[in-house]
Amino acid sequence: MTHRARSRIIPWLFLLPSLLWYLIFLVYPMAYSFVISLTDWDGLSKGSNWVGLANYIAVIFNDEVSRLAIKNNLLWTVGTLLIPTLMGLFLAIALDQKLPARSLFRTVFYGPAVLPLVAVGLIWAWMYNPQFGFINEVLKAIGLGHLARGWLSVFETALPATFVTAIWTGIGFSMVVYLAALQGIPAEQYEAARMDGATGPRLFWHITLPWLREAHVIVLSLAVINSFKVFDLIYTMTYGGPGRSTQVMGTWMYFNAFQYYHAGYGSAIAWVIALITLVFAVPYVRHMSRD
Amino acid sequence: MAAITQTRVATKRSTSAHIQRTWPKVVLWIFLAVAAVIWLVPFFIIVLTSLRSMNDLISNGVFAWPTRWVPENFTRAWNLGNFSTFFRNSLILIFTKVPLGILIASLAAYPLAKMRFRGSNIVFIFFLIGLAVPIHVTLTPLLVMMKQLGIAGTLPALIPPYVVFGLPFQIFVMRGFLRTIPSELIEAARLDGANELSVFFRIMLPLAVPALITLFIIDSLGTWNELLIALVLISSEASLTVPVGLLRFQGQWSSRYTELMAGVVISIAPILFIYIFLQRYLVSGLTAGALKE
Repeated sequence: MTHRARSRIIPWLFLLPSLLWYLIFLVYPMAYSFVISLTDWDGLSKGSNWVGLANYIAVIFNDEVSRLAIKNNLLWTVGTLLIPTLMGLFLAIALDQKLPARSLFRTVFYGPAVLPLVAVGLIWAWMYNPQFGFINEVLKAIGLGHLARGWLSVFETALPATFVTAIWTGIGFSMVVYLAALQGIPAEQYEAARMDGATGPRLFWHITLPWLREAHVIVLSLAVINSFKVFDLIYTMTYGGPGRSTQVMGTWMYFNAFQYYHAGYGSAIAWVIALITLVFAVPYVRHMSRD
Repeated sequence: MAAITQTRVATKRSTSAHIQRTWPKVVLWIFLAVAAVIWLVPFFIIVLTSLRSMNDLISNGVFAWPTRWVPENFTRAWNLGNFSTFFRNSLILIFTKVPLGILIASLAAYPLAKMRFRGSNIVFIFFLIGLAVPIHVTLTPLLVMMKQLGIAGTLPALIPPYVVFGLPFQIFVMRGFLRTIPSELIEAARLDGANELSVFFRIMLPLAVPALITLFIIDSLGTWNELLIALVLISSEASLTVPVGLLRFQGQWSSRYTELMAGVVISIAPILFIYIFLQRYLVSGLTAGALKE
């Protein structure tokens, strides 16, 4: 082999294991599940019938639970887009200053983010427990006992209650990303602006926020992507209930594909999730691949 | 006289300026401390619950100090909940899947970081897209594939999907890290007659140890925490990992809150331990993954 031919082939030899792994266990299953989503396969039997886009039409137009699940995912997006992001930004700005015990604060606020979501769900199911839960106990102790309820088993509060849990585990990530971005702002920027007579709020609007643009792209696109992927917290805290009121697309897909034996329909829901997350991944991937 | 007044005004101004500067910080600090305590409440509550008796819980409520400490909750949960099996399975996964995944990711990251060739950017973007692919879209086919391989329901079935979902992030981080290694080192080794494989193993990997440690920790946490794939691909009790096992335990002990919370504490204790002692690696790696520079 000539030297040139060898140097042309070497990069691909290094890439081969991960490319193969990626094609076999990610790309092929994705394509395969798209094919399944065009059938009425139950997931077990040998045969299945081609149904075209019928499953997708059902997900978007006919199945009320699917529509509710999409709505819940949108609510989840709104909830986790605004509150944890703003709280994370606030904490990052606060903890970027020299304060006593600031690394302890960072440890505490990021802590819940490293826990398994199953454990987080069980912890909060216990906090919300109707009989002995901490939340109800506190309400009773401060004379608001009439507000005590089974937070996760009542229609009006079940979904918002899971948002609180999502906020508890979610602020850590945005805080850490914003902190890293803040530390990347050159100090001269602030000094130059101060020389020009700028103070507090003006510095924030004209220097801090523009320098955080990259961090916003990451935090916001990941918040959207992750809120359409939600599964663990709903599965462990409400199991989609009461009734089916807290179903999200992730859990509804799971119930259909693996409990009701509607593999075709479940795959269609999964592909709807995938299409949404891939669209929102565009700015994220563009940012990550930029040199 | 005038001089005295002037100095007095000056000192007054400087103390008030000092107060103006420190006062908001004090308020901010108190606010942060209160928020931190609120953030820690769930941890206090589960530890307190896991260390008392059910009778004590029923009669005294969840935030009373336990009348008697009951560490036996932990031994009961550990033994009856079969946690030793779950721990063993999750640890087996961590020590097989994580090194395997990081190795093939590093192999891919080397040419993407240090070689010029046609299509490198397309391959890199192709991998990055994997960051956004929801696991859900692969589950049914993965189950079919694992059945065909004869490993559905058992621990080895988790290795292929766990490796694949770790690859995009690991390739991204390793590529970023390997780019910072000076190319002169590689050139010098090549002049000495080293082939590319030995450049990779003798020069790149040893220099990348900090990144490898970070990836090992992050990927171990991810493996320890993963629920959805395990829920679909694992069926036998003997193959359950910690998250699925904890759910199974909750199904059986749902009204024995004290033992249930002991089980929760058992499942998160290793994670918290690693977090508190290895936080530096963890957080730097996560931000390196998200932000560049």
